[in-house]
Amino acid sequence: MTDTTSPNALAAQATTTTASTMERLAVGNEEIVVQSAGTGTPVGYLHGMIGTPPGAPILAAADAASLAVTAPCLPGFTGSSPSAITRNIHDWVFHLSAIIDATGLAGGPLVASSVGAMVALEVAAIRPDAFSQLILLSPLGLWDDEDPVVDAYATTLSAQRRLLTKNPAATGVFFDDPEGLEGDELVEYGVARYQTRTSAASLVWPIPDHNLTDRIHRVTTPVTLLWGDSDALAPISYLDRWAAALPNVTATHTVADAGHLIDWDQPAAVAEIVAGSLL
Amino acid sequence: MKTAFFHLMPYPDLPDDFPETHRSVWVDIDPGLYDPKVGHRAYNDYIDELEYAASVGFDAIGVNEHHSNGYGLMPSPNIIAASVSRSCPDATIIVLGDSVALYNPPLRVAEELAMLDGITGGRMVAGFPVGSPMDTIFAYGQNPSTVRERYHEGVELITKAWTSDEVFSFNGNYNKLRYVNVWPRPVQRPHPPIWIPGGGSVDTWDWCAENDLVYCYLSYFGYKAGLKTMNGFWNRVKELGKEPNPFQGGFAQFIACADTEAEAWELYREPAEYFFNTCLHVYAGYADPPGYKTPNTVRSGVEGMVERAAREATARAEASAAAKNEPKGPLSAGPNQLTFEQMVEKGYVILGDPTQVTEQVHELCTNMNIGHLMALAHFGNMSKDLVKYNTKLIGQKVLPELRNLFEDEWEDKWWPKPMSAEERQLRDLSESTIGATK
Repeated sequence: MTDTTSPNALAAQATTTTASTMERLAVGNEEIVVQSAGTGTPVGYLHGMIGTPPGAPILAAADAASLAVTAPCLPGFTGSSPSAITRNIHDWVFHLSAIIDATGLAGGPLVASSVGAMVALEVAAIRPDAFSQLILLSPLGLWDDEDPVVDAYATTLSAQRRLLTKNPAATGVFFDDPEGLEGDELVEYGVARYQTRTSAASLVWPIPDHNLTDRIHRVTTPVTLLWGDSDALAPISYLDRWAAALPNVTATHTVADAGHLIDWDQPAAVAEIVAGSLL
Repeated sequence: MKTAFFHLMPYPDLPDDFPETHRSVWVDIDPGLYDPKVGHRAYNDYIDELEYAASVGFDAIGVNEHHSNGYGLMPSPNIIAASVSRSCPDATIIVLGDSVALYNPPLRVAEELAMLDGITGGRMVAGFPVGSPMDTIFAYGQNPSTVRERYHEGVELITKAWTSDEVFSFNGNYNKLRYVNVWPRPVQRPHPPIWIPGGGSVDTWDWCAENDLVYCYLSYFGYKAGLKTMNGFWNRVKELGKEPNPFQGGFAQFIACADTEAEAWELYREPAEYFFNTCLHVYAGYADPPGYKTPNTVRSGVEGMVERAAREATARAEASAAAKNEPKGPLSAGPNQLTFEQMVEKGYVILGDPTQVTEQVHELCTNMNIGHLMALAHFGNMSKDLVKYNTKLIGQKVLPELRNLFEDEWEDKWWPKPMSAEERQLRDLSESTIGATK
């Protein structure tokens, strides 16, 4: 889809962007970080559990797939200011709804991963025109007692890293301290990383199920589902659960050699599927 | 200074190979390890020990709250407090405390502590911990990003419920109550003293310092390691231009006292090793759920007490797994476990004859500026006889030497103010005078 007529102002702006850029945008009482990368068809991207830090692989992969990616970060993620009002899933829904309006992503396609996909589905349930289509990467939000999603936080940091991607080195730009950073700057980098993890944890605590099944029938948006074949966090069996629960699934894809954060393990493959899935 | 006999109430019969065969004593401890008959015996022994402590010179008895925990069998400290409230008619009872964020609504805490204050005639201290991550975040499923806001709202609600002269509405973020009206009212006015048990959060230092609350550092790692944390609190007090009244500080310390030092080494080795190597076998993955720490605490790099315990326990377990072929006796520390000598040398356990213990406790209190000592005279799998021996020596030979510490110079503004002895109703099981006159 080449949507040059989209009301999506930022996406239109992104079509002229050739390098990854980051800006801060006031949305309500929050200041949101928005990353942009690539040239081509505009598409939104909503991060998973570790946000979208500069250097996130999906940003680098956008151009080759002819995608102009606009990637806002929810409050608390990747330097977006934490909101005092993120007490329940409804607060997150209002935040994302405001963010897609402010960034011009409303009405367009959105790629959303993990916890981001969870919030995007909630928005789609209450606001059917929010997205033209959803391309969901290992969404969280369903729960089966007999086949539970693994607790990503009842573990050490290094073990959590191994849970998120098949190749733990893939998430280095999030988990590793940047070279050359020292003193207070390094401390603040660590605080920001902790804040991102806090925000992600708050979305899935204690169980990543906010009763979406009560309203999932309202999600009439076309959905493409992607799952990593090596997802150690959310078993691949959930792919079938989502496909059965969502009313309008147009395609499902299993991505080889990918863990939970599929696009961190296999950014090019994901970008290619996204480009081919756009309606 | 004042001293409480503080009890953790550990399960006493965990298997010798627990650290090698189980991941954690907390959160996911195997339910199959719990024998209700052992639990029955332990509860009754422990209540006996609390009552005994109150009879041999301790100023107070202290209880606390843990969940899904093999070293803390007190999910409800208020139940234990109630069980000793009449059998210990003169002791202060320190509930240290009720994890406010876990009660919905927290009015339950206001009510139960007011009941206890009423039964005891105003001998209660109300402790309000945020609670450990294992208790609050994992065992009770609280969201780490909101648990502190929920906690502070709960404390606000409780104190208002105790002090308001009128029925009021409370419109909080987590508590919506049209009619707040706690009956009974606490005996102590405006309310029982509030102590805040802390594990190392710098924001808790600030909160206690700003609001004149007792900061109680409940560390398992003794007075040498605890100095940095207590200094952090006292620095905040001084920065606010307030006086460093030692009675605003509390500290927990394991104490092993015997007639001779040699006897102490012999008597307390096994229970200390049981506590530090078995009871503190906590999985590190439960120590730091993101959001539990405030940004200021992350920024400061201060490691919480249970976080340290879990980190060290997991490191020991991993080292043991790596060296699993090395021999290990059933009652002595394994090759990668803490030895009793290390525990004493590091100050985790104060050990010695009464004179030696007195000197060390004096050093602890003066160095850390502590007016309220939570003495852990029971630890690990001590027999009741040994607990009584330890307790009596501390109560009758150590505490009398320390009782006047700070008392002349500072006022203890955080100690309960009970009804007078004449006003207080004591246990009365005498026969009815009505029947006797017929």
